[in-house]
Amino acid sequence: MAEEVQMQEAGKGLRKRNIGHKKGKGKKKMKVHHGGSGQKVKMDGKTKKLFRKRARDYNSDDSDDENDIVEEEEPARPVKYEKKQKYIEIRKEKKQMHIENKEDDEKVSDEEMDDDDDDEDEDEDVDGDKDEDEKVHAGNDNSDDEEGIIEHGIMKFSEGSTSFKKAFKKIVNRSGTDAVLGPVLSAHKNLVVKKLAEEAAEKKVKGDAKKEKTMLGEKGHVKPDSFSVTHEKLLIGVATKGVVKLFNAVSKAQSSQKGLNPLRSKDAKVIQKRRKEAFFSELGKGPSASDAKVGSAGDGEGPAWAPLRDNYMLTTSKLKDWDKAADEPEATDDFGREDSSSDED
Amino acid sequence: MARFRNKKKVAFVRQPKKQPQQQNVDPVTGDKIPRSFVFSRLKLPGSLKQLQADLRKMMLPYTALNLKEKKRNNLRDFLNVAGPMGVTHFLMLSKTGSSPYLRVARTPQGPTLTFKIQDYSLAVDITNSQLRPRVPKDLFKNSPLIVLSGFGTGEQHLKLTTIMFQNIFPAIDIKTVKLSSCQRIVLLNYNKETKLIDFRHYSIRLQPVGVSRRIRKFVQNHQVPDLRSLQDVSDFVTKAGYGSESEGDDEAATVSLASDLGRVNKASTKSAVKLQEIGPRMTLQLIKIEDGLCSGTVIFSEYENNGDKKEESEEDVEDDSEGDAEGSEEDTMDD
Repeated sequence: MAEEVQMQEAGKGLRKRNIGHKKGKGKKKMKVHHGGSGQKVKMDGKTKKLFRKRARDYNSDDSDDENDIVEEEEPARPVKYEKKQKYIEIRKEKKQMHIENKEDDEKVSDEEMDDDDDDEDEDEDVDGDKDEDEKVHAGNDNSDDEEGIIEHGIMKFSEGSTSFKKAFKKIVNRSGTDAVLGPVLSAHKNLVVKKLAEEAAEKKVKGDAKKEKTMLGEKGHVKPDSFSVTHEKLLIGVATKGVVKLFNAVSKAQSSQKGLNPLRSKDAKVIQKRRKEAFFSELGKGPSASDAKVGSAGDGEGPAWAPLRDNYMLTTSKLKDWDKAADEPEATDDFGREDSSSDED
Repeated sequence: MARFRNKKKVAFVRQPKKQPQQQNVDPVTGDKIPRSFVFSRLKLPGSLKQLQADLRKMMLPYTALNLKEKKRNNLRDFLNVAGPMGVTHFLMLSKTGSSPYLRVARTPQGPTLTFKIQDYSLAVDITNSQLRPRVPKDLFKNSPLIVLSGFGTGEQHLKLTTIMFQNIFPAIDIKTVKLSSCQRIVLLNYNKETKLIDFRHYSIRLQPVGVSRRIRKFVQNHQVPDLRSLQDVSDFVTKAGYGSESEGDDEAATVSLASDLGRVNKASTKSAVKLQEIGPRMTLQLIKIEDGLCSGTVIFSEYENNGDKKEESEEDVEDDSEGDAEGSEEDTMDD
């Protein structure tokens, strides 16, 4: 019981990080060891052997120098105690390490330990509470009588040690494998996994929202596909017809003014004359005086450069009376205002 | 004693470069040149922004290619700028939850045509779908021709649409127009059954007819031909290469040019008209015509053919929201 109590004390000390107390406890522990070593623990050779074997098995897992040393030092010791001592030794070791470390580190580890809700930790807590109670009880009963404590402890010891052993083994085993993910006694791994999963879920939700948004933005956006080729060809045909019509009209209109620049006034006059002639020849009349008058009234002898003309900037906006011009026949194909300009002359 | 004359340091003042006066009027025909703004109302998703850029490119050269709009710019801001700049048309893209919309408006008084964009393809998509996309460097230096097809059904709103689109681009005077300036064509094809308008944008290419493909390529490319497989030089001329089906030119697509066009197309020879799409491509549905600029009485509505009931309430709401009360009273329609 004493060992166990001490051990739990040590554990408690670890948790509380009460450095000042630790030394005293260490001493106390030592004292307890001394007391315990000489005590009679009834044990026959068979069980002794068995325990030894177990101890060896245990040691084969982790080759701790100190454990070996302990065994060497006290080979005749009862195995139970040996084992127990090993635990204690390990504990001590840890404790010393902690002491050596700076307080900051300890705090960090402390926080981690507190944060993590590890099963082992909780188990230990329960054990610790129980043991503390026992200790208090024992202290009240017989504080100096060590034999009583030991007698009482042995029963509890055999009970508690298995669970503790399991827990400790678990922890030790784990520490070897998951060194990357965090300290030995933390559920850091679980935490990390949890966080990662959460992040992934969050990302997925965000991604979905984004996708939906882009889908909405892309609505109506169609890539040209191969099955609408016939329709496209039809449209190209319509457009081609329009272009051909226009080009033919242009060539017809401009055939009279080959090699003349409409921007030059000299040429412009010639062009005007030829146009008029063409117009009258179409009408089937000679250029009589009255017709000439009509011609001059329409477009007349206006200069080639637009600003010099009389009706400059006075072109009527078609949009103003678009509905009034409804009775005008509309062609199916229109090219700009090509028709209107040809009508003027 | 010869000395270098101490040069006086004279501050060099650069004469401010005279900005070329914006011509609002065509120098030859004397017609007013329509100019346009293409901009968006509210924020657009990426692909629609690209569509806006494509539309701007299509409207070149008489448009603001790099028009920057801010979130707080409302219609009135554009309208205020439009007056001094001589801008006559607005093309507004907007996006609702259901679909994108294109509004074509004449400034400053309207009318406004609202089109629902059923689907659209960007110029990039079109280019990607083509094996040999063709973009000559002076393709966008002249405004496109416009061909409106199938609009002659006699309906009022279609007539208005026709006039609107005719006036968006500068008019062509067939007596003075240079064929080399006709590089692009915009096609609006109205489908009577579906009531949808197909909007296409093509580049025009002319090829001489009646010449074998080899010789045409030789003349066009100015490169030494590969004669390895031929026995004699004359084979190059006489031997006919493979002709695809499109090579067999139908008479409908050939023109005789009034003047020489480039090195290849002479006035004396016949030329074939080839169109290649350059995008963007849109399928539009006319849903509403308003009298004012994004306000005013509703002349036509696709969903309610006679919008008499809703007219007044709608007008009020839109006047309030837009904040630009146009003088729509003058132009109210007598139905």
